This record gives sequence, structure tokens and C-alpha cells, in this order.
Amino acid sequence: MENIEFDKILRDRLEGVTEAAPDVWEGISQGLARRHRRVVMRRFSMAAVAAAAGLAIALLVIRDPRDGKLPETPVRTAHALQQEQPAAETPAVDVLPIQKQIAAFTRNQVTAQAVVEKPADMAVVPPMVSEEETVATAETAETAETPETPAAEEVRDQETQPSQDHLLTEADLPAGFWTAEDEAISRKTHTSNISILSNLTTVGSDNDLIYKASPMHSSSQTGNRASSMVEPYSDSPKFFSPLSLGLQVEIPIVDRLSVSTGLTYSYLVSQYDMLVDKVLYEGAYNQLHYVGIPLTLSYRFVETPHFGFYVSAGAAAEKCVSQRYVFGSNVLHEKVGGLQWSAKAGLGAEYWFVPRFGLYFDPSLVYFFDNSQPFSIRTQQPLQARFEVGLRFKI
Amino acid sequence: MLYERYSSVMYPVCVRYLGREEARDVLQDGFLTVFDKIGTFKGEGSFEGWMRKIFVNASLMHLRKADALRYTEDITESPELGGVMEHGVMEQIGTKEILDLVAQLPSGLRSVFNLFVLDGYSHAEVGAILGITEQSSRSQASRARSLLQEKIKKLYNGKH
Repeated sequence: MENIEFDKILRDRLEGVTEAAPDVWEGISQGLARRHRRVVMRRFSMAAVAAAAGLAIALLVIRDPRDGKLPETPVRTAHALQQEQPAAETPAVDVLPIQKQIAAFTRNQVTAQAVVEKPADMAVVPPMVSEEETVATAETAETAETPETPAAEEVRDQETQPSQDHLLTEADLPAGFWTAEDEAISRKTHTSNISILSNLTTVGSDNDLIYKASPMHSSSQTGNRASSMVEPYSDSPKFFSPLSLGLQVEIPIVDRLSVSTGLTYSYLVSQYDMLVDKVLYEGAYNQLHYVGIPLTLSYRFVETPHFGFYVSAGAAAEKCVSQRYVFGSNVLHEKVGGLQWSAKAGLGAEYWFVPRFGLYFDPSLVYFFDNSQPFSIRTQQPLQARFEVGLRFKI
Repeated sequence: MLYERYSSVMYPVCVRYLGREEARDVLQDGFLTVFDKIGTFKGEGSFEGWMRKIFVNASLMHLRKADALRYTEDITESPELGGVMEHGVMEQIGTKEILDLVAQLPSGLRSVFNLFVLDGYSHAEVGAILGITEQSSRSQASRARSLLQEKIKKLYNGKH
């Protein structure tokens, strides 16, 4: 019998052969339940992060002193008013004692209106009052016409006496209060920013890797991956959340629109079984270090002195400057060619504690293109949610 | 139900790569992968063929983890054994017995033989999967065939 004939007979005999399998369903159902729990936990974690982010934004909005609304008329601080009104012409301005002013600042979260109460010579739009209030005011006026006792008059004089000593100056303001100059800075939309950022990217799914036998085998492991002497070999790779740090400069282009660029560093760690020169190592680590240049356009659709909301979109090019495999007690370095390109879009919020210094939160979706980069969360899960937070300085 | 429909078909696939003891574990792992990846089946080819690939991969992975394939490429010579198989011998051997005889081959030879002869991969593809040369795959397939024929003849002679 020829070999070919033997092979054919063997193939025909074993083709589609069936045999009662041992009952492993219980193990399968337990395994499925474990995987389901893992997926649920991961989704729950992502939802929790999103909720926390939303809560943080909401808290920032609530804490905004102006509640996001700017007064129609220019804000006047005590300092500004002092400069506007010559001392000789200073009318009888009702000024609260300094302690009351500070208390008012604290209680009302400081607006200029709380500092100086209606100077007499200022054209003030009369507030709308009800009929009852009008009657009450008339009664008060009548009462005011009655003679006062000397003691009461003295007290009243002390309280209403206009005095430069009692006017609130910038020096009197507690630390962190905004001055007229601060207000001017905060209103400047054409201001460049420097940001120090850090971000965390979520790992959204299991992304189990199946070892693919030919013809699927190595079909997608091209480029740097093909030239590597290391091959991923695992049905359950573990990816740690990538971490990035960076420094960016934001430059205004036109009103509300700005462009930012800078330098970022990203660190990616994966753990999986790998074949190193055809030898299997279980639970080995791969560490990737990327340095990148992002370019982002931002449009601020809400902009107040303390607060800003914006949408942003952009792209980034990143170069892997170091790749390291750690298996057993061995360490292997491999060079990585090419660039990792990515595109992102997101929403952002910024909060200025003081005119030149603020905090921002920038959740976004990032898509990593297939540029034959080493096996990592970016190749297995190209679309990722990123949560970036940072400090921002106006220059 | 998927498990009930296909477990009896996929179990023999695992047995001829691993033997009965280890086939049980891989059958479980294979079905977990099937349930996990079932959404990726695009309808190209038969569903059974897609599943078979998953179980073949799972079996090979199991062998790799046990380091059973590490020395596969060391064997490049293929001394002929057993001589020529006579016609009519195969008809006297049961399918279950053939399955067990295949499972008794050394793991490296068994993998090459299964992939090339029974699962229809080319020697180039077998080489790529197992990390050996095409020539080595040819030699090992030939050696595995000779060993198997020898075992079949022994079984046949024992019966008659």
C-alpha cells in the first residue's frame, strides 16, 4: 500500500468520527461564569470612573462663585472704585465695616457687588419690588424722619462715616481673592497655557488572544512583530492600564479656538505567555516606553473667569524608544521601528483657582491605528477611553 | 445546544493530538474559547471547521505549555520502519483503535502527522505552526507514518 493511499484511508476513517466525550460542562459553565464576572466588574469600574468624573465636574460647577453667569455690567472691585472716585468727591457711600465685608465675602463667595454696596452716585437700575415692599419702604422712610437720640445718631454716624481706612483694599483681601487685575487676566481669551498632564487609559475588555494556527497564524503579526524573536502565546494576556505624563503648550488661534502641542511619555505593561526563540515562558512581561508629540485643536464653548468647557480633537505620533521583555530572570531589549499614530476626540473642563493657575479634566476617546507596533493593549484594543487630568498655567 | 452537538465531534480531535487523559482538559478550554469568540465567526467556511481549528490550536498550546514540542525539530532523519502495509489490514482495525494508536505516537511526531495527514495542512504551514523547517516536517510525517503502520500491523497480527 502506497503512503498516499494509507493517508487517504486513515483520513476517511477518522474524518468526522464521533465519540462520547467526558462531561466537562460543569467546568465550562464555571469558566464562563468567571469570565462574565470579570467583564461585569470591568464595566462597573468604567462606569464608576465615568460617574466620579461627572460628579467632579458637577461639584466644580456648583462651587463656581458666579455660577457660570457673568454680570451684565463690568465688575467693580473696591480697588477699582477707589481709583475711579477722587477722594474729595467721594459721596456718602455705605460701606460695611471690614469684618462685615470679610464675612460677606465668605458667606456670598465673593463677588464685587458684595464688597461695595451701591455707591450713591452710581446709576443703579432700581430693583423690582413688590407692592408690599413699597409700602414697607415708605413706612421706613417715615420712621427715619423721626428725631434720633444723640447716642443712636452717634452709632449711625460711626457706621456710615465714609472713611478710607474702612474701604476694602486689595491688601485687606484674604489670600486667593481676585483683584481687578486678576479679573482682567481671567477675561483674556487670547492667552497661552502650559499644561502638565497625566492620563490613565482604561482597559475595556478581555481581549483574549487565541494562538492562531495556520493559515491564520502570524497573518496579523507583521512588521516589528514579525521581526521579533518573541511571539505572544497566550489565551489570556493581561494588560495594565497605560499611564502617560506630558507637558503641553496651548496657543490661541482665534477667539475660543486654540491649538496645543507638546511632548508626552507613555508607559505600557503587558503580561502574557510568550515564545522567546521558540521556548515558552509563562506570565512574562513586556514593557514599552513611548515618547510622542500630540497636536490638538480645542474649542471653548463655555468660558467664564473661573471655568471653561471645551471640545477637542487631534492626533499624535509616538515613537517607541524602548521595549523590554522580562521572562524568568532574563531581560531582552528589542528595537521598535515606525511610529504609532493615533487620533482622539473628547470633552474637557477646566477650573481656574487663581487667574494664572488651574486644573483641567479631559476625558476622550482615542483610536490607535495599526502601525505594526509591538503586541500591547493598543494593538488588541485600538479604541480606548482616556482620562486626562492636569495643571494649567497661563503665560 | 452547542456543547451537546459538538463535544462528541471535537473530543476525538483532541484525543489524537493529546491522548484521552489530557483531551478532557483541552475540550473544556476549547469550548470556553468557542463561547468567547463565537462572535468573530464570519460565516466563511463551515462552523465545524472553524471550531476544529480552535480545538487544534488549544491542543497545540497545551503541548507547548508542557514543553512537548520543544524537541520536535531535532528529528530530521526518517529511518523507514515496518515495510509495506498490506491491503485489507486497515479494514480489520476499528476506528477507536486507530485513534488510540495515533495518540500513542511521540508528541512531536504526532503533531506533525495530525496536522499534515489528518488536518490537511501543507508542510510549509506545519513548519510555521510548530516552528520547524519544511524539510523537518516532511521527515517527521514520514517517520510518524512508518511508526503508525508498524503499530497497526502489530495490532493486526495480534488479532490474527
